[in-house]
Amino acid sequence: MHEEIGNTPLHDWHLSHGANMAVFGGYDMPLWYPSGAKKEHLTVLTNAGLFDTSHMAVIMVTGADAFELLQLCFTKDLNTCVGKKKAPLKPGRCVYGAYLNEHGELIDDAIVSQIEDNIYMIVVNAGMGGDVASHMTDYADLRDVEIIDLTDKIGKIDIQGPMAAGILMNVLKEPEKVFDEMFYFTFKGHFDSTSTFAGTVSFTDGTPLLLSRTGYTGEFGFEIFVNPDHLIGTWEMILAAGKKFDLIPCGLAARDSLRAGALLPLSHQDIGPWPFVNHRWLFTLPYNDDGTGFTKKFIGDEALHNIEESEHTCAFAGYDLRKVSTHDPVAYVLDSAGKEIGTVLTCVSDMAIGRHGDRIYSISSPDKPEGFNPKGLCCGFVKVKPKLLPGQIVELKDNRRKIKVMITDDIRPDRTARRPIKEMLKV
Amino acid sequence: MKEISQLILPDDVRYAEDHEWARPEGETVRVGIDDYAQDQLGDVVFVELPQVGDTFAKDEEFGTVESVKAVSELYMPIGGEILAVNTALEESPELVNSDPYDGGWMIEIIPNNPDDWDALMTRDAYIEALKGGK
Repeated sequence: MHEEIGNTPLHDWHLSHGANMAVFGGYDMPLWYPSGAKKEHLTVLTNAGLFDTSHMAVIMVTGADAFELLQLCFTKDLNTCVGKKKAPLKPGRCVYGAYLNEHGELIDDAIVSQIEDNIYMIVVNAGMGGDVASHMTDYADLRDVEIIDLTDKIGKIDIQGPMAAGILMNVLKEPEKVFDEMFYFTFKGHFDSTSTFAGTVSFTDGTPLLLSRTGYTGEFGFEIFVNPDHLIGTWEMILAAGKKFDLIPCGLAARDSLRAGALLPLSHQDIGPWPFVNHRWLFTLPYNDDGTGFTKKFIGDEALHNIEESEHTCAFAGYDLRKVSTHDPVAYVLDSAGKEIGTVLTCVSDMAIGRHGDRIYSISSPDKPEGFNPKGLCCGFVKVKPKLLPGQIVELKDNRRKIKVMITDDIRPDRTARRPIKEMLKV
Repeated sequence: MKEISQLILPDDVRYAEDHEWARPEGETVRVGIDDYAQDQLGDVVFVELPQVGDTFAKDEEFGTVESVKAVSELYMPIGGEILAVNTALEESPELVNSDPYDGGWMIEIIPNNPDDWDALMTRDAYIEALKGGK
């Protein structure tokens, strides 16, 4: 494990623009800018926000046996993982899943993108490039495969929010062509100018990029991969083009509150070194149609079958925005009898939502009540035993307060991540 | 985040180690958190204040201030009885960020120990303490 703190190429930009910084995943990153975390969270829902995500790690897996190695190490069955019909992964498509160890515990979650036959791009979390690359290398044996850790060698920017496509229209060459048939979890182009795919997507200044319809906020948007030499130029170009759309830079605080409201797990917090079962992201595991087994062999499969009753990871939403702590000290979950049944993994304030009647609405909800001006709700994940069902009320208690929350299947409603681009261009 | 040189630190108040400010107003002392604290906290979304009539000793916790990101305790810069609390913070907690020394005030205290005041830092001493901390 490295002790030094890394910086992305945008580090000085963040500092000179007044960002409040903190160390995350081994990198000194912006938590929020002078606009503040609340405004950043809300702006992603109403307009768009720009996130420096270059601290995340990219790994290339290439070679005749790349597919086979990924089938062994990655939880999704690449033969049957795309769309409702569970089509195979193919060039231009990506899929979300996990890397587990032999005990069925999470090493990291990841998005695997197929660039072409025998070439895959894996995106993992900040600081995890080395660990995931060496994990795959350990299992490669005599396979014909090359694993290249591109940590700090790729620049990445996330643009998230309903106006994301409208903003990119102004900075992409032939944007209509780029956006044509660009479905959720597809990508086009390449960041490497020597690749045959480079040039299929370029900025107006000629910079090649890989543009992916992914992101971590649960809202409509894209991830942009560029050579890190072009990162600052790309960032500033998009901000300038986004000015008339009120695009603002956003930090990790807004990223965290947006993703929790979208029920997306934070690696090493909501999913981690414990059995990867009994959670709400089971679509990452290659279950067969009747759920009785898996469609392929992969590292950790035996352990997942044999796990005794383990804790359950459930989502919750509170009744006001007040939070409990998740470390120093951790907050406990109390059942209706006041018995301690688990711990709180994540607790954030989603400032865009509020309760009205028996529903939670977001500022984006088309059917939100008149005059709806939410103050926000705390939300996140708990790890408990026994399993809790949606609708059940529990209390979260830290050394300061005790708050009532409801276990839920959904937190922030009416999220836009999957909306067709055509629809979002009309925004 | 602000550099120390950018912080707004008036000299008509004194400062506690935990970044509360205290301003004498005749018989009473008004208290809030300073520009350094609000800058570090980020957007304040909730403030928990005590009841009028409660009494706390110097350095005792009197409430909490909650930002989007975290919850922090508030500590009495001097001991005394709570004479008034700023009820405007219920609807507008963001006043703590935008106007920490005036509209964002938190409590008014009837001090019960005159020695407590001397232990607080003047503006210059507080700036030195901040520099030392960094």
